[in-house]
Amino acid sequence: MNCDDVRTRLDARLDGELAAGEIEAVDAHMEHCADCKALQERRIALHDALVREMPRFAAPDALRQELVRSAREAPKAHERATRRMSSGWGLALAASLAIVAVGSWQLATTRANGEMLTQTLLESHVRSLIGEHLTDVVSSDLHTVKPWFNGRLDFSPPVYDFAGRGYPLLGGRLEYVGERKVAALVYGRRKHVINVFLWPADAGMAQGPPAATRHGYHLLHWNGPDFTYWVVSDLGTAELQEFAGLLKDADLAAAAPPTSQ
Amino acid sequence: MIQSPPTRFEALVLPHLDAAYTLARYLMRDTHDAEDATQEAMLKALRNVDQCRGDDARPWLLAIVRNTCHTHLRRRGTGRGQVSFDEDLHTAEDDARRPDTALIRAADAEAVRRALDALPLGFREVVVLRELQGLSYREIAEIAEVPVGTVMSRLARARDRLEQLLGRMRGKEGWG
Repeated sequence: MNCDDVRTRLDARLDGELAAGEIEAVDAHMEHCADCKALQERRIALHDALVREMPRFAAPDALRQELVRSAREAPKAHERATRRMSSGWGLALAASLAIVAVGSWQLATTRANGEMLTQTLLESHVRSLIGEHLTDVVSSDLHTVKPWFNGRLDFSPPVYDFAGRGYPLLGGRLEYVGERKVAALVYGRRKHVINVFLWPADAGMAQGPPAATRHGYHLLHWNGPDFTYWVVSDLGTAELQEFAGLLKDADLAAAAPPTSQ
Repeated sequence: MIQSPPTRFEALVLPHLDAAYTLARYLMRDTHDAEDATQEAMLKALRNVDQCRGDDARPWLLAIVRNTCHTHLRRRGTGRGQVSFDEDLHTAEDDARRPDTALIRAADAEAVRRALDALPLGFREVVVLRELQGLSYREIAEIAEVPVGTVMSRLARARDRLEQLLGRMRGKEGWG
């Protein structure tokens, strides 16, 4: 194991999360590498400082009492509502309970919209593969792709290059979802194409399931701090999850921590 | 008011109220916001207590708290605090200067608080879940909705940053 191998495993080693087969190699490296040894010592110092200085907070008593009260009052009313909504003739019964009826109707609508959106994006993905229109701007350079969206969208989509991680940027294009113009960024993984659809998180668009599989394509969906993401590909779920993790991390790294009070 | 015997919620979930509130404090970084988020999360947990499997409700509850905090932060998000990049935090990663182990070890409560506050949310939450709540990578992965490998890399990067922040401070005035 070289220093890079050890550095990516050191935290797991110290947290007791490293696979048994790798522990020996990490420890052996530590014996003769002063740099990695120093890193380990810093990690231990940090752990000591955090455990010592990070306070735990006691919840306000008033909140605790209120929760006890809610817990003792709630079950009956709550169970009744749940039973009605989940039973086969729930809607008929719920007609006498306006709130329940409205609630379940909204739920159904939201689900239907989410499913429609899932279908729309899946079709966009498939269309992009079979037609000529995979990309409007073809470039692996994020400094070419990002400015291309200027004036074409009312927001500036974050564009990253994960070529170093095996997910090179291939380009971008405009897509319509309903009436809304959204950004589609295209990334590659070996021979696979990944379409990333995104728009501002506050655009008031339908939400969908966090993960779905349709016709052999996988879709992942999440809301970042600023943007709503949909990722579609025929790539395996594990790799697609990894790719989604890269996007989330990149967004995190780019988002500044709000100034502390 | 009808008094019933202690409920499943009281037996299983309520004992973790302080842990829930503590997580909310670190994520929201504000007492009032933390109380609001904790209250909403606990009521959500009360409504869905049937979905809690097993004996240890803590990871399940913390996942609800975490999601509630994210929703609150997102809701008020975009306008607020959009300083687009913290230069110091960024360059810290590439900085060749090695942080000072003795300084890190000697960090006081105020320095630790400020260093944690300076971490992006997704890094801060893995540190709190690991160092304070002592959860496993797998539990953290489920709570943060990322793969275990991402938990590992986020923890490593978060700790690198904390070391830079704590190990380069010169007493109180080092934060310029």
